[in-house]
Amino acid sequence: MMAADMSPGLFVASHSVRLVLRERTVALLCGMFAVLVLISAWLGWSATATVNRIYIDAAAFLKAAGQPVPSNPVLDVSPLSLMRNMSVYVALIGALSAIVIGNRLISLDRKAGVLPLIGVRPLSQNAYAGGKIAALVWLILTLGLVAGCVAVATFLMLPAVTLTAAQWGQLTGFMALSMLYMGIFGLAGLAAGAWARSETVGLLLPVTLWLTLTFIFPQLTANLSPTAAINPVSALMNPPDTVFFHWAAQILGPVSLADAYKFAAAGLLDYLPPGTASPSAIPPIATLILAAAGATVLAWRALTGLTMTTGDYDV
Amino acid sequence: MSETLHAHVPNSMSLGASKPIRAIAVKDIRDALRDRFILIVTAFLGLAALVALVTGSIALRDDVATYEAAKATLLALGKSANAIKAPEFYPLRLLRGAVEQIEIIGAAIAILIGYRAAASELGRQTLALILTRPMRRWQFAAGKIVAGVGLLAAGLALVLGGLTLVLHLTSGVGLGMDDLIRIALVWGVAMCYNTCFFLTAFILTLQMKQPSHALLVAFAIWLALVLVAPQIGDTLDPDNQVAGGVFKQLNIAKPDQVQIMKGFATFETLRDGIEQASVTKHFERFTFAVLGIKATYAGLPLWPILVEKLGDLIWIVLTALGLGVLALTLRINPDRLAKA
Repeated sequence: MMAADMSPGLFVASHSVRLVLRERTVALLCGMFAVLVLISAWLGWSATATVNRIYIDAAAFLKAAGQPVPSNPVLDVSPLSLMRNMSVYVALIGALSAIVIGNRLISLDRKAGVLPLIGVRPLSQNAYAGGKIAALVWLILTLGLVAGCVAVATFLMLPAVTLTAAQWGQLTGFMALSMLYMGIFGLAGLAAGAWARSETVGLLLPVTLWLTLTFIFPQLTANLSPTAAINPVSALMNPPDTVFFHWAAQILGPVSLADAYKFAAAGLLDYLPPGTASPSAIPPIATLILAAAGATVLAWRALTGLTMTTGDYDV
Repeated sequence: MSETLHAHVPNSMSLGASKPIRAIAVKDIRDALRDRFILIVTAFLGLAALVALVTGSIALRDDVATYEAAKATLLALGKSANAIKAPEFYPLRLLRGAVEQIEIIGAAIAILIGYRAAASELGRQTLALILTRPMRRWQFAAGKIVAGVGLLAAGLALVLGGLTLVLHLTSGVGLGMDDLIRIALVWGVAMCYNTCFFLTAFILTLQMKQPSHALLVAFAIWLALVLVAPQIGDTLDPDNQVAGGVFKQLNIAKPDQVQIMKGFATFETLRDGIEQASVTKHFERFTFAVLGIKATYAGLPLWPILVEKLGDLIWIVLTALGLGVLALTLRINPDRLAKA
């Protein structure tokens, strides 16, 4: 059955990718992600255009009242910031899709009861683990590329928007960052799927982690309410200037991945307000790279420690 | 599990329609308490809500300290303290973060409870056995719903009760009867709101071929209704597009803002329509008004608020009732009794 011209790890990877792509729920979530990325482009354009029209009306109003007219806030904004909502959708549905992909990559094998069959094949557990992680990377890259294509198409289609070479580079960096962020949650899904004794727990553990990082940690580090945490502009408000929030940001910052992604994305897409910086002790991109490394180690250990003699979950 | 159920389910329907419902509900509640799942998720929600309350209190304390320092400076300079605005303190406003956690994490927990209520019988292959008993299928669904809603109600009561106690002891002003009535009202509406998500997951899990797929579809609905729709509405709010608010940056006073926004009526209708499509936004609008979190309702008596927010309340109740009727009337497919 194993293709002669393919390494065992590569075979596991390509087979796993095919299996996951057949899953309707994965397709549903990934489809939702793609649609939301498209919506985020429209949202950015629509909201910016509305603020511009409000400014024109307000300027006329202020002139008539004999008051000074401040500068148009839209002119101070980089065109890259049109895509600011994409960072929210990556953090919400992108991360959740990655968890589901990671979970399905392992749960499909466990549910089908094929682990004992794989275990008796001439295939090391390292090759199996490597194949699964490679499959996850491939799927996340595909998801990220779809999002990237939507972003590029948006910028090419909007006639009033022109990006410089540096800004195209920043956009590429943002897409790479988003894939890294989704990859962390995908690896957590993979690790939990391999480690958990029940399919539901395997899915719920990384979802709980995602809920904690997205909605609870930002409250501790910056007193951000959950709804403010998912607004790209409100999420960057300065935390209250107190000892508690100072230390909470310093201590929890290095593990507050949603905060790190939010600051790194805002920096790359040029919507980080001047003078605003991550209060964490570790720079946001370094935090995400360290988290990705940690999640890879965790997934590797869970996959290589998987019992290849038991088929289904213990339920 | 099945022994317990056999002991409770009567052999004849003449014993009344409520007995099988009660038996299934009692069995489900016992199961949920035995495996500690409900305790763990309630503790998680309680922790999230408590974090929100504590961080909100710390931020408020900082505002008060800043005001006191500024006031002392002005008085020392011989100037009037009226030059600076005193921070307003309404203790119930500190529940904002907690209400939002109930709105997001509470709904996710309700989905899990709904999923488990249906999937537990599929997973243990006991659904076929239960349906051979002398009871109607709607009674089976009703028993599960009673247990699920009961667990949700108890969990929310624990969380909100705990928060009320913390708020009473730490706010410095204590809570009065009016405050307690408002919190009780929020509990009732939160129960209704979370029931919508419980029922969504319950229906999907009973109807879809694979329970795990049903769970994921329920989470996709949760994402769309709880996070995406309100987020789109919030993002389209022009005042959220510029740090600090566009009108604040342009130095436009509130009455003038209203005047300018009259020219954007269509845009605002679209934005509001997107928000209105989500039951979450109705929950948020109702609770924020009742608790005085939204500034325009702070300090107002309860009755006028209830009259104004009746539409939001009706929306939430009708959504829950509609899903309840659907859960009771949809046929449980006997071909899907086996474990997926």
